[in-house]
Amino acid sequence: MLNSTTNNTSEFKPVMQSPLHPFGLAAKQEKINDSKGAWANEIPLLGYISLRGNSQNAAFVSAVNSALNITLPTQACSMINAAWGSILWLSPDEWLITCKRDQRASFQQSLEAALAGIHSQVVDNSGGYTTVLLKGKNASDVLHHCTVYDLNMLQAGKVVGTTFGKLSLYVHQHENGYSLVFRRSFADYIWRYLERSALPYGFGIAQLNDGQ
Amino acid sequence: MFVIKCPHCFEAREEEEFSYGGEAFVARPESPETESEENWGDYLFMKRNPKGWHWEMWGHSTGCRKFFVLKRNTANHTIVGAWTLAEARKIYDAEEAIA
Repeated sequence: MLNSTTNNTSEFKPVMQSPLHPFGLAAKQEKINDSKGAWANEIPLLGYISLRGNSQNAAFVSAVNSALNITLPTQACSMINAAWGSILWLSPDEWLITCKRDQRASFQQSLEAALAGIHSQVVDNSGGYTTVLLKGKNASDVLHHCTVYDLNMLQAGKVVGTTFGKLSLYVHQHENGYSLVFRRSFADYIWRYLERSALPYGFGIAQLNDGQ
Repeated sequence: MFVIKCPHCFEAREEEEFSYGGEAFVARPESPETESEENWGDYLFMKRNPKGWHWEMWGHSTGCRKFFVLKRNTANHTIVGAWTLAEARKIYDAEEAIA
């Protein structure tokens, strides 16, 4: 046997890392203050579940509502916040559910159980997305440098998919700033783009509340 | 720069969010296996290129990622409207019947 002499210490142990971990954000974060105009940080390693189905189908909507104990946002570009996370409308037949990473299996299971026999799809996409929060008095100015969307139209409870530089992401209001949800592979580009766009205002790594 | 109202997002958005999808409602031959080379080639490559009104498909690539239909004047870039494929089909058929 090839590995008969290998001891347990060299066993393969995968480590979960957020897409922005090379930037070492946790070590650089500080409490938000007036010294800088824009503050950002990643909310690493959330759970992301992709939900697809026909919103015209009453059985589908009520099954989702009862499984998650929410009202599915079927109106275009709308979203809801729940105690455990949020549900974003992405397209007429697609939603993105964000939750704590260790909750995702139970959400997926309860959705799959409730949607049995209904034409729909529930996929765990947690490896595919990440979220960055952007705050501070110049947060909108920074974002205006990056996207073509008119942010004055982005009221609370609304989520839009738009461009960010050469890429795309979803943006919605979060407390007194913005939440940017995008693909894991975009993380490096988007973070550097934010840093560069925030140069005139000052860019800080914000300390996030526990559980954010 | 166009401002296009996406019929799925119900909101006017910048052209940068969209991608062009070519002429709309190009009829696909019923049986590609038995279709002549010439007709199949026409279906694939020969698209209308009018000066004036043009029915075309656009995709909302960075938004809802759905395709829809737009009627645009290629000479002066006037956009009459944008509809989902099903809605536009009815208007298109009605206009074609008159023409």
